[in-house]
Amino acid sequence: MRIPCPYCGSRDASEFAYSGDATLPRPAPGNADAMFDYVYLRDNPAGVHREYWYHAAGCHAWLKVTRNVSTHEVIDAVLAHDEATL
Amino acid sequence: MSTSYRLASGGLIDRSRPVSFTFDGKTYGGYAGDTLASALLANDMMLVGRSFKYHRPRGIFSAGPEEPNALVTLRSGARAEPNTKATTVELFDGLDASSQNCWPSPHFDLRAVHQLAGPLLNAGFYYKTFMWPAAFWEKFYEPAIRASAGLGALSALDDPDTYEKAHAFCDLLVIGAGPAGLAAALSAGRAGARVILAEEDFVLGGRLLSDTTQIDDVSAASWAAVAEAELAMMPHVRILKRTAVFGAYDGEYGAIERVSDHLPVPPPFMPRQRLWKIVAKQCVLAAGAQERPLVFPGNDRPGIMLASALRTYANRFGVSPGQRIAIFTTSDDGWRSASDLQKAGAEIAVVIDARAEVAPDVRKLAGNALQFLGAHVSDTSGYRRLTNITITDSAGQTRSVAVDTLGVSGGWSPSIGIATHLGGKGNWSEEKSAFLCSDMPPGMQIAGAAAAQWTLADALEHGALAGAKAASHVGLGLQTQKPIVASDEASGNNPVWLFKGSRRKAFVDLQNDVTATDVALAAQEGFRSVEQLKRYTTLGMATDQGKTSNVNGLAILAGEIKKTIAETGATRARPPHVPVAIGAFAGLHTARHFKPTRLTASHAASAAANTTFVEAGQWMRAQWFNAPGETDWLQSVTREVKAVRSGVGICDVSTLGKIALCGSDVGTFLDRVYINTFSTLPVGKVRYGVMLREDGFVMDDGTTARLSTDHYVMTTTTVNAGKVMQHLEYCHQVLWPELDVQMVSVTEQWAQYAVAGPKSRDLLRALLGDAFDVSNEAFPYLACGEFHVGNIPLRLFRVSFSGELAYEIAAPAGHGESLFNALMQAGKAFDVTPYGTEALSVMRIEKGHVAGSELNGQTVARDLGLGRMMSVKKDYIGRTMAAREALIDPDQPTLVGLRPVDRSQRLRNGALLFARGVTPAPDTNAGFITSTAFSPGHNHWIGLGLLARGPERHGEIIRAWDPVRSGDYELEVIDPVFIDAEGARLRA
Amino acid sequence: MLDLAHISAFAELRSIGDGRGVIARERRGIAIATVMARKGQGAALAAAVKEQFDVNLPLGPHGSGSDATSFLGTGPGRWLVTHDAGTPRFVDSLAQQLDGLASVVDQSDSVGLLRLTGPALLDVLAKGVAIDLGATAFPAGSVAVTQIAHMGVTLWKVDEAPTFHIAAARSMAGSFLHWLEASAALAGLAVE
Repeated sequence: MRIPCPYCGSRDASEFAYSGDATLPRPAPGNADAMFDYVYLRDNPAGVHREYWYHAAGCHAWLKVTRNVSTHEVIDAVLAHDEATL
Repeated sequence: MSTSYRLASGGLIDRSRPVSFTFDGKTYGGYAGDTLASALLANDMMLVGRSFKYHRPRGIFSAGPEEPNALVTLRSGARAEPNTKATTVELFDGLDASSQNCWPSPHFDLRAVHQLAGPLLNAGFYYKTFMWPAAFWEKFYEPAIRASAGLGALSALDDPDTYEKAHAFCDLLVIGAGPAGLAAALSAGRAGARVILAEEDFVLGGRLLSDTTQIDDVSAASWAAVAEAELAMMPHVRILKRTAVFGAYDGEYGAIERVSDHLPVPPPFMPRQRLWKIVAKQCVLAAGAQERPLVFPGNDRPGIMLASALRTYANRFGVSPGQRIAIFTTSDDGWRSASDLQKAGAEIAVVIDARAEVAPDVRKLAGNALQFLGAHVSDTSGYRRLTNITITDSAGQTRSVAVDTLGVSGGWSPSIGIATHLGGKGNWSEEKSAFLCSDMPPGMQIAGAAAAQWTLADALEHGALAGAKAASHVGLGLQTQKPIVASDEASGNNPVWLFKGSRRKAFVDLQNDVTATDVALAAQEGFRSVEQLKRYTTLGMATDQGKTSNVNGLAILAGEIKKTIAETGATRARPPHVPVAIGAFAGLHTARHFKPTRLTASHAASAAANTTFVEAGQWMRAQWFNAPGETDWLQSVTREVKAVRSGVGICDVSTLGKIALCGSDVGTFLDRVYINTFSTLPVGKVRYGVMLREDGFVMDDGTTARLSTDHYVMTTTTVNAGKVMQHLEYCHQVLWPELDVQMVSVTEQWAQYAVAGPKSRDLLRALLGDAFDVSNEAFPYLACGEFHVGNIPLRLFRVSFSGELAYEIAAPAGHGESLFNALMQAGKAFDVTPYGTEALSVMRIEKGHVAGSELNGQTVARDLGLGRMMSVKKDYIGRTMAAREALIDPDQPTLVGLRPVDRSQRLRNGALLFARGVTPAPDTNAGFITSTAFSPGHNHWIGLGLLARGPERHGEIIRAWDPVRSGDYELEVIDPVFIDAEGARLRA
Repeated sequence: MLDLAHISAFAELRSIGDGRGVIARERRGIAIATVMARKGQGAALAAAVKEQFDVNLPLGPHGSGSDATSFLGTGPGRWLVTHDAGTPRFVDSLAQQLDGLASVVDQSDSVGLLRLTGPALLDVLAKGVAIDLGATAFPAGSVAVTQIAHMGVTLWKVDEAPTFHIAAARSMAGSFLHWLEASAALAGLAVE
């Protein structure tokens, strides 16, 4: 699989570390129930996901990758840092 | 006496270059351009093996990669390669091949008695026949079956050759260099596209090499040669011969190039095979089609072959496989084979077509041969070679005809396997009598016979179109091109899946000895889906993956279960499309090069000192140094520990992860990732820190030094360095991008050595002189500093893992070996001792420091006795989850020190802990031993463990139970710090 | 005084095979630093680099340099700076020049540097690098942080000869040379 790193360009998926759902905001400190959901609970729908991928062997950027988990089609990839600072 | 079956002229072989080879120890001759199969046929060697289950004599069946029968072992000794298809092996001088699955020879195989046991070996036989008594299966039946059934044997010797991997990128990958593939490559290449043309064969052309047709007024083979020459001139086109594309994967294709398989021994540095990963924007699958055999009684005798293979042997290799040939067909193509064979000088005795009506111009192709329409072959005879066939004509009359060769032609199956690798499906086309694919991988088109474009003109036209389309998809303009003009050919077909006749076995899958009766039996027993049929009967398994048998098998199944072929469907094809050696996937990464090795700057100096190394992640670390006379690791380690505790020792700690953290908000950042506070750490000081995962469990620990206001250096454990870096970058980029923090790994930049022991200060003073003041006043416990010696920057940290007065000194890695040697030199006066990770570990256990065995992903800070470090004044990663009820339960196992009541008792990691007097059971278990060491200071074994309510139980005698190693002994629970509890030595 | 001799990372680089398919030379004595823009200082940093080095700070994976000093884009807000004029304590002075605009971390000893060229170079690199290094996709001046045989490398194309500079982790120099020798020997690896 190839992932289009916004900084480096098209790269083999082996350069990246996968880290799951990129849609969950970290809850406020001390909210144990919300934190439990954030750490453990995940939906797993067929189709398009937003996922974190870390370009470990490249620019070290954390990416938000939009990927169809049924077809493995990578639709989009952006720097997580850019989204976080919006 | 063997007869030469080589035709007097013709073929694309080079008759000026004779080649000598051996088969089963006998020497034969062939020509450059032959395959092993064509050379064997030329030498009247039709019979080359025995079948998988029944050990029936089997001959060469095809002329290509679909071959089910002619599997041979190529080469001998360590280079022996079993299950090689003789039909694809390029002949070379000195080639050495042998038959397999027969003993003593294919002509006289003692295991042929299996044929008498035929009824016991039917579909699913190993689930049924050999079931009772049950104990016999493992001990007797299975070994016996494995010994007698099967394919070739591995040499079990190390492969002396090398394999490599390579990457390629292109606009268009063309799979197959037959007419459609060549046309596609030409039109895309002429448009300027970067093209890779991959062809499994050693000559480009595909069917063009086997045909007598004309293209643009030259012979098909000449046209292929001209096309190749044009492509070879294009700098943006790469031609990969002897390269089979074996799979479509997400975003790329896998291909295997047989770089030196056609050479007796690879020349120096040449790999045997090269594994390609090809990233292609577009792909044209032009893999052609395979002729289908016909299923009728006695259809497996040597001499019965695909009709198109006969044509190939005659036209391409100048070999007539037989002297008197019959053709049995359901397609026009069979008639074309008859015509070509006659033209080549072979005698065609008879053509039998199951169709009642055949066009007159097709019938003309058979020349003066006898013709039977609406007829079929109902029986055959001949043991080691076909001698007679029985024809049942349209009136039901039978007659016997003496032939030594029978060509069978049941129509063609497009080779769409690669198109279905990403989930696409083959759909049955009644019109084309073939499975076609319409939901290919992104960017793929199928052209030529692979798309059931049967005629040469169709293949060329659609190939050229596909190539042009691919070029336009990558932004290159469509060029108008002169159409390629090819001679016309007939391509009608009307398949018949099973012919009745004698009671002999009618084979569907020659490689796995699966018969039509087996398919019927499976259906009768309820195995009604094609996938079940495959597993139950083994139809379509093994090296050929049913390339000649799948369609016939499922069509017969469809007939049995009264469904259409479309409803029955086909089994899913998965990569690899052709067998690929595991060695090719490994590439260079074998033996000690399995993964990269990281060496520290002191490695060479340590190795020279007779050191035993241990792998820590990718690193090699000195485990202990073997002094003269030492015969046991414990001797060496005990000596090293004593030397450090009484004098001074040096240990390479460069492998610990080191991360530079810069920016005005690093203090805030560290407060959020560590459980304790770092924003208050003064410049010039070091602090121990623990970081948690978000789920509250400990991730890693280490010290962090503040070198200047905006510059910290964090250390991580050796194995977690990458994981921590990833975590910190996540925290910064995703969680807190507003912070002014920059970070980069400096693990590689610095060589770092622990200098530990009461004389460590003396050693450093001797080493550094006036360059840096190491006195306790100027540089107390947990101080850090940077200084230069000349232009070389050095760093000093007063930290201790051993519990002794200790320092760590760091230099840029290029100076690391010199620094190690300088430390050893300066330490001579103090009897300095280098020590390894074992001594390091003994000393940290004595000091009660936790390490990998305690930071096991299942412990929270509290469990490790570090609960008091958890700040209550701030939030940090993992704080909320670490407060979960179960994680603060006092019954949760907590760190304790352990020593044996019987001081001579050795402790072992992993022993389970119980209160005295209870019966060991899961619900009474109170913890386990995590780390053990022989303590030279105490002169007995000590341990660290995790024990329920541990801190309350100091002084209690408990039981260690270790059933795996027959251990059952008593321990005293004590404080985990075995030495210098007040820390006086650290601050000395 | 303490004498700490320096050993270069690729001291073991050797010729292997016949021919000059790949010509290799170790680049020694190069000062290397990771330069990371401080929060919100990207534009000011670019201006400072332009003023002090007459270099257009690359915003993507490209290299840009003056006679002796090159700035190579290795990540968002991150550059690898190489300096081969032998200025003593170059990294320290760079840190001072960019103070407040960028964090500068010395990496001079963290990698070994090779200069590779030769007619077989692209074919040899293709045996390790999973990115398209052809003239269209990767023109001279392009930089890639990637991996070869599971080892992290930074490589940049100097010219279309082609000539590449490659930085590989010092601790893995032995494993890297194993890959290079095994991959280049057939075409011949000549060390200058």
